[in-house]
Amino acid sequence: MRDVYIIGTGIHPWMGFSEKVFSDFAAVAVDGALKDANIEWKKIQAIMAGIFIYGGNAGHLSGQYLESIFGETGVPVVNVYNACATGSAAIRMAYNSVAAGETDTALAFGADVSPKGFLTAKSDNAVQDRDVIRWKMGGLPNPIYWALECRKRMEKYGTTEEDLALVKVLMSEYGSKNPDARFKKIYSLEEVLSSVYVCDPLRLYEICPVSTGAAAVIVTADKELISKAGKAVKINATTMGSAIYGDPTIRISALSCPAVAEAPMLSESYSASQQAYKKSGIGPEDIDVLELPDNSSWHYLVYLETCGFCKEGEADKMLRDGETRIGGKLAVNPSGGFSSHGEALSAQALWQVIECANQLRGRCGARQVEGAKIAMAQTYGLMGNSGTTILSV
Amino acid sequence: MENMANKVARIPNLVDWSTGEVRLMSAKCNSCGTYFFPKEHYQHRPGCSREGVEDVLLPQKGKLASYTIQYYPCPAPFKTEKKITPYGIGLVEFEDEKIQVTGIITETDLKSLKLGMEMETTILEMFTNEEKQQVVTWAFRAVK
Ligand SMILES: [Zn+2]
Repeated sequence: MRDVYIIGTGIHPWMGFSEKVFSDFAAVAVDGALKDANIEWKKIQAIMAGIFIYGGNAGHLSGQYLESIFGETGVPVVNVYNACATGSAAIRMAYNSVAAGETDTALAFGADVSPKGFLTAKSDNAVQDRDVIRWKMGGLPNPIYWALECRKRMEKYGTTEEDLALVKVLMSEYGSKNPDARFKKIYSLEEVLSSVYVCDPLRLYEICPVSTGAAAVIVTADKELISKAGKAVKINATTMGSAIYGDPTIRISALSCPAVAEAPMLSESYSASQQAYKKSGIGPEDIDVLELPDNSSWHYLVYLETCGFCKEGEADKMLRDGETRIGGKLAVNPSGGFSSHGEALSAQALWQVIECANQLRGRCGARQVEGAKIAMAQTYGLMGNSGTTILSV
Repeated sequence: MENMANKVARIPNLVDWSTGEVRLMSAKCNSCGTYFFPKEHYQHRPGCSREGVEDVLLPQKGKLASYTIQYYPCPAPFKTEKKITPYGIGLVEFEDEKIQVTGIITETDLKSLKLGMEMETTILEMFTNEEKQQVVTWAFRAVK
């Protein structure tokens, strides 16, 4: 396998609902990545597209729609869906294609337009699609799943409401320094703690909403292109994980979970991160910057444990002691996280990778982690999807 | 038990009251021992032969393993005639079956909820359909 580098990245800033179509957002991100890499469109030898699930035929063939905007060249176009880890699947395929020597340069992208109302069921067949049951009979919007786990955590490890609020305080501080973030207001502990409960113990500001956004990454093994790029970033590993039998987590869309744990919580993310550590020879102790999926404050805490940055039940202390701050032992979510962005399903994993790349390229201005050499992007995904990407300079 | 004659579950094969008690419809794999809910939510142990999966009813009572109180209405296609917000959602553990199941908490003071308390399976009336039947979902309530 050859060494593969990120040479160009592009983002359409995160925002709320828009009347514009997803491919317009995708084009902005891809244009940005081409300019950043300083290469022409014709250099792209494969397109790995994250699909836009609410976009009908167009959204499910997002790669073809994107290709026709820039000009069809006959290269392989693959469209992929892995829930919140969709972007992880896209970059992994781009990486594998280049590392194996199938292509020299490949593009991964994802774009998502926030649905106008709430997220809800996408089919009407309850036997085939359990999601129909949870919406029609369960009364179970996504944050409820997180609240059920959060309550267990509070009971087991003594996580407090202040700990949950502190996550938002920190994320809002960083989000205010990120021009691509959607939410830039800084919140105090009191403001977060006085915000309404959505599903007790999780409050309004402790849960991320859905957003619109797009992200694109160009990877290559072409030495000429690597030398032409402004500080290329090496991909040490980019992996996907699925769940493990006996994982006690109540997964979004499910109506039951095992009562006796025979595997780690969020085992899909445990699997993805363990694979990445093994492939790269890099461990949690080597990592300077971590972008984790803080869909809620609970996620921020549990992901530090799932991915081995501390022992079970110790994440709260890491947070309280300032170890997860920029300038601390491990800078967590210097981007402001999902808390400051919201979820743009097929784009978010790539946006996490881009924040990591930008940190390693020293491009992050007021939120820059000084001297960052190794960074890790970790995703979450409903129904047992997850991806991990480890980068270095 | 109240009169269940004119009641129908919104989606079939999830909740049963034919025995005189309201119970959840599960399936058990006799090869790997895993219980599933819904019964089509197969969760076999890797390597299991998947032979001998049989329909079973979960016990009527279990213990509250976690809960939350939802303050906003659940969006469509969820629907109830009466306003139920704020409503509790419980994760109820059936210990011998080694499974926890989610369900709306009904007929219970939400302030009295405590992890470990005994809960029983019941139904929640959602709305009346065109055939004048009460459409229901499964739910949990504190054992009095
Ligand atoms: Zn089995």
